[in-house]
Amino acid sequence: MSSPAILTPTESQRTPPSLVALLPGVALLFGIGIAGKLLQGALTLLHARYPHVFIPRIEYVLLAILLGLAVGNTVGVSERFRPGVATYELWLKLGIVLVGARFLLQDVLHIGGLSLLLVAVELALSLSVMTLLGRIFKLPPKLTSLLAIGSSICGVTAIMAAQGAIEPEEEDTSTAIAAILTLGAIALVTFPAIGHLLHMSQQGYGVWAGLAVDNTAESLVTGALYGQDAGRWAILVKTARSSFIGFVVLGYAVYWSSRGLAPGVQHKGLFLWQKFPKFILGFMAISVLATAGFFTTGQITSLSNLANWAFLPAFAGVGLRTNLRDLTGQGLRPLIVGILGEVFIACVTLALVYWSYSHGVAR
Amino acid sequence: MAAPLEHTSSHLGSRINIDLVAIALGLALAALIRFNILPSIPF
Repeated sequence: MSSPAILTPTESQRTPPSLVALLPGVALLFGIGIAGKLLQGALTLLHARYPHVFIPRIEYVLLAILLGLAVGNTVGVSERFRPGVATYELWLKLGIVLVGARFLLQDVLHIGGLSLLLVAVELALSLSVMTLLGRIFKLPPKLTSLLAIGSSICGVTAIMAAQGAIEPEEEDTSTAIAAILTLGAIALVTFPAIGHLLHMSQQGYGVWAGLAVDNTAESLVTGALYGQDAGRWAILVKTARSSFIGFVVLGYAVYWSSRGLAPGVQHKGLFLWQKFPKFILGFMAISVLATAGFFTTGQITSLSNLANWAFLPAFAGVGLRTNLRDLTGQGLRPLIVGILGEVFIACVTLALVYWSYSHGVAR
Repeated sequence: MAAPLEHTSSHLGSRINIDLVAIALGLALAALIRFNILPSIPF
């Protein structure tokens, strides 16, 4: 792997950072996110004041990512800020839990049920296609497994979950992570453009982004770049997709263990529970409370606002952790396999979404 | 930088369990808003 800065397992055995150690990085995340929001306000103001001058109208989501990219790829994220910047995942999950208030249970069951069906199709196709491409391009078998797991479920989280289960070479893990992050960065640019080109609805586009974009953070951002509603639907579908993580990782663990190349799985039920993304339960709990009328309309708006505040540092984190040098320095073959596989998955899931909406399966 | 941050966050996740912290924080904020202890913060 190109990046020498990647933590080795020995380094990652360190004790968790204290709350004080998290502060600089958290402040950086919020600072960049708020700067993005202020910049959007400034651009809107300038646009209103000088209507004849071309001033681009850019959403804060994109501005926060661009600012994060600029900081991360110029001055870089120093050691002091890293523990706090890594909390972007916490803010992302907190936002997802809170946004549950915007979903009535019947929506969750309807779209969640539909997306489970679509996810099942997407899973079967992406696992087979990635495995086939990995063989054609003669990638190491465990790297192929990691790319298949990452592209079918939820990107980096799934790869990290599989790491302990199938024991790949460390370099394979790093390459798979870099390839998935590269593909996520490409999706941020291409998906909204395709969505606008095809005049997709907010819901249809959100379902597509949730199905086809691998990392939860990138999936949310890809959705939010198209619109706030699209972001919400992307979260719902992505959450349904993430719930499969345990089953897929378990399948691969059993496969590699049967070949004597990974430790055996003693308690499969416990394994599934350990790999299950538990923040989904928080999302469901808030959704149930909202459906039961526990919150007033004003309180649901307040919770939605808090979710947006939680997503703000997560957007900045996506920009900060994207290293443009890593995106090009990971070796060509894994990236080609990833791109070919992802283009295939994006096309198939787009066709599935269109089919669902044109046949009234989704509404 | 991409991967190290991911590794760190996963490391944090394995020790502290980010999912449970997110759920606890989310439910606590929901309760504070429900009982009008936390004012609405515009976005």
